[in-house]
Amino acid sequence: MPHEPYRALYLHIPFCVKRCNYCDFATQAIEADSPVIDEYIEQLVLQIRQKAKEGELGHIETIYLGGGTPSYIGLSRLSMLLYTLSLSLRLEPDVECSMEANPESVNEHLIRDIWALGVNRLSLGVQSFDDDILALLGRAHSAQDAERAIICAQERFDNISIDLMAGIPGQSDESFKSSVERALDLGVSHISIYPLTIEQNTPFYQQLIRGKLADTDDDVQAHHMQIAERLLQEHGFERYEVASYAKPGYACKHNCAYWTGVPYLGLGVSAATMTQNDSRRMRIQDGQVTDDLNRAQMFAEDIMLGMRMSAGVSDGLVEQAARELPKLTETLTSLVRRGFIEHSNSAWKPTEMGWLCGNELYGEILDLAPGDF
Amino acid sequence: MTDPTHIRNFSIIAHIDHGKSTLSDRVLEMTGTVASRDMQEQLLDSMDIERERGITIKSQAVRVEYTADDGEVYQLNLIDTPGHVDFTYEVSRSLAACEGAVLVVDATQGVEAQTVANAMLAMNANLEIIPLINKIDLPAAEPDCVRAEIEDGLALPADDAVLASGKTGVGVHDMLEAVVYNIPAPQGDADAPLRALIFDSYFDAYRGVVALVRVVDGSMKKGDKIRMLATNAEALVEEVGARRPAETPLPSLSVGEVGYLVTGLKDVSQVKVGDTITSAVGGVNEPLPGYREVKPMVFTGLFPIDGDQYEPLKEALEKLSLNDPALIWEPETSHALGFGFRVGFLGLLHMEVIKERLEREFGLDLLATAPSVEYHIYKTNGEMISLHSPQEMPDPGEIERVEEPYLKAKILIPPDYVGAVMDLTVQRRGTFVTMNYLSPTTVEMLWEIPLSELIMDYFDKLKSNTKGYASLDYEFDGYKPSKLVKLDILLSGKPIDALSFIVHRDKAYDRGRVLCDKLKEIIPRQMFEVPIQAAIGGRVLARQTVKAKRKDVLAKCYGGDISRKRKLLEKQKAGKKRMKSIGNVEVPQEAFMAILKVDE
Repeated sequence: MPHEPYRALYLHIPFCVKRCNYCDFATQAIEADSPVIDEYIEQLVLQIRQKAKEGELGHIETIYLGGGTPSYIGLSRLSMLLYTLSLSLRLEPDVECSMEANPESVNEHLIRDIWALGVNRLSLGVQSFDDDILALLGRAHSAQDAERAIICAQERFDNISIDLMAGIPGQSDESFKSSVERALDLGVSHISIYPLTIEQNTPFYQQLIRGKLADTDDDVQAHHMQIAERLLQEHGFERYEVASYAKPGYACKHNCAYWTGVPYLGLGVSAATMTQNDSRRMRIQDGQVTDDLNRAQMFAEDIMLGMRMSAGVSDGLVEQAARELPKLTETLTSLVRRGFIEHSNSAWKPTEMGWLCGNELYGEILDLAPGDF
Repeated sequence: MTDPTHIRNFSIIAHIDHGKSTLSDRVLEMTGTVASRDMQEQLLDSMDIERERGITIKSQAVRVEYTADDGEVYQLNLIDTPGHVDFTYEVSRSLAACEGAVLVVDATQGVEAQTVANAMLAMNANLEIIPLINKIDLPAAEPDCVRAEIEDGLALPADDAVLASGKTGVGVHDMLEAVVYNIPAPQGDADAPLRALIFDSYFDAYRGVVALVRVVDGSMKKGDKIRMLATNAEALVEEVGARRPAETPLPSLSVGEVGYLVTGLKDVSQVKVGDTITSAVGGVNEPLPGYREVKPMVFTGLFPIDGDQYEPLKEALEKLSLNDPALIWEPETSHALGFGFRVGFLGLLHMEVIKERLEREFGLDLLATAPSVEYHIYKTNGEMISLHSPQEMPDPGEIERVEEPYLKAKILIPPDYVGAVMDLTVQRRGTFVTMNYLSPTTVEMLWEIPLSELIMDYFDKLKSNTKGYASLDYEFDGYKPSKLVKLDILLSGKPIDALSFIVHRDKAYDRGRVLCDKLKEIIPRQMFEVPIQAAIGGRVLARQTVKAKRKDVLAKCYGGDISRKRKLLEKQKAGKKRMKSIGNVEVPQEAFMAILKVDE
């Protein structure tokens, strides 16, 4: 179908030194020198070149190398990948180019080289600054490794994000709080706070059903999310999305693309592509269409995703959407009455309860244009 | 007409799963009634649910021609009976249509409660009983032990018990020979006025009510005018015939024969199991013995989860009633659940089967309230009311006394489990009557127990407390006074009628407390706090609280997560659909059954 140009590009690197206990992502633990990785990167390079030739990369504004652990595959492969990108699209400083890295595979050479090759935002998988928690999660690094990696990255990068995990069984409020504080001391510019979800097909799930791990506790997770919000806001961070906090100007443009109806191209296993025109939106993953939305459903999705952000949903978008979703205004009013959202400065925005119990409100919004699942 | 000396009418009776249906299949196959290529497992179980659950719900009669070793051709009528205690009356009527029975005992399981119960029924019906030890092909078969159990436990000579395997077909020939030589030919007067016993009936949309009958005296043919003695309904015989197993019309059914009869009547309740058919003109007035009105024992509220399905539910119940006179129902309104029906069943299995058929055959999503029994409330003003639903319980001040149905229960177990059964059954307000050793390995315990306790997962508990060894049989034993009270459950301070139940006063506190705990687990957290209370009248006995939901959000929502999230929210929505919104509290279905799972 004729479609709007892609404006975001995601590349998936499905390799790690080991699998963490909570992980259900598309990744595998593999020897760093395995030819499987070479083959995979080679394929990725071919696909990037192919897409460039087809003219699909001309409007890319953000790039994200995620995983897995992109830093794990080593400099020579990363160099080939980044060099290919720079030949295939406009990789200039105004284009946000993020890369995920884990503390154990970060070193000075890697930092200098990826920076030189165009990466301008580094996302470090820290998860916690508590060694006991890191061991429980099955991470391949210590708290000290994480600190060293951050300091090392700061030599080149000012845009550094870290992930911290909340509400892990056995994680005390104190442990979580001190991890947030440690991150603040180290001076990162972006922090993502994820409450742990125990997914099926993970070691944690096995431990859970064998009674060896306590289940996550929603009250604790809510409490941790509130601790984070308070601490981070006191230190000049803005919560711009459910899980995302940034200093002014450091919000992740690539992630915002996912939440604002911007078309994106995903390359590599499990990477999702979203393509759309005025009347239809499709999401494709591993060659399968996972979503096929009509215009009304597109609007409902945009509003649902908008409600995950502090910017919320503008009056303008609501006005447009209301033509397709006749019950929209009624639903929004009801959500305001029940305390999930509020209306201010010409936009509908989530309240504290809307942040914490978002599924209640997202469900109602998607219901305005039900799919046929 | 077949000479009655060449007719044998018999049943195969057994405890559930002892292989009755498979043996019947082999009989059809060996007599050439059904070609092997047309064989379908458990051919006589015509309903899907019967085949799936391996149980027989409706009676069946099939006629086979068998050339015996003496060279003569015999007409054998095999009557397949329901295999569950809920249907004891139907079984007894089927047996009344026979002169003999093959008693099947599993060679690996031995005599069980329903073996005893069915053998008793057959003995009471004066049937010649042929013991058959089945599944002798299994490595764990112990025919000698089983033979001893039959002799000790049932006082039946078992030296000549047939050794058979329905699976391999071994012994089926021996069984048929025993049927011909040991079971007496039907007696009866061919020239007397017509008397025929109805042992099953069902409604056929094209032909009206069809009855399965045994002609006791006289004969009937197409065009005869007949009358049912108990219901006084008259009908014209539109067709008679036999099942082989496909229906085959015959010129007449005469003395001693078993077959089917097409009446053209529109209402199955005019042709009741156990009733006597005679000629409308010049018939008899004396009915065959044993007729009784079937009365439902267990009641439950059935409510459509989607209110729009009320009419479809009504139509479905009407359709099922056409074939099931034991199924009774009346409209019921619940504040909590809206419009639905109070439905009466013969027993728990009957209830499960009907609910399953309503959901499966009619595509309905139903919510069932905890089953209840019929209580007799004697009011201070001298009035007596039959209570089918806890909701209708009058104020305590108006009640003089309450009586509840009791059962005589028979439990067979190995001696090691006597203590376990004692503990459980006393806890369930059972009164011990007596205990007999049927054999060194089998004890028979007799109890009196309130039906209301039995329907509270008693059988499941009995099975698990005896490692599956216990078998249970029961019969109705009349009404007895009990100190019963209505326990109300309140959510957010409002009584929820569909959660009320009737309980013995001494147990009210414990049940109330445990149920509050259970409901706390079952009711998901809502956006606000939900207090749960158990109360008698205005007095609160127990309290719990479902805390308000504090977090319900998935933090990660990138690229492919969005598709996953959509699906998850859809699933959540589907989950909500299975819940009932009461006031503003979302209550899952299990809540209404929680009372059944309460274990003190």
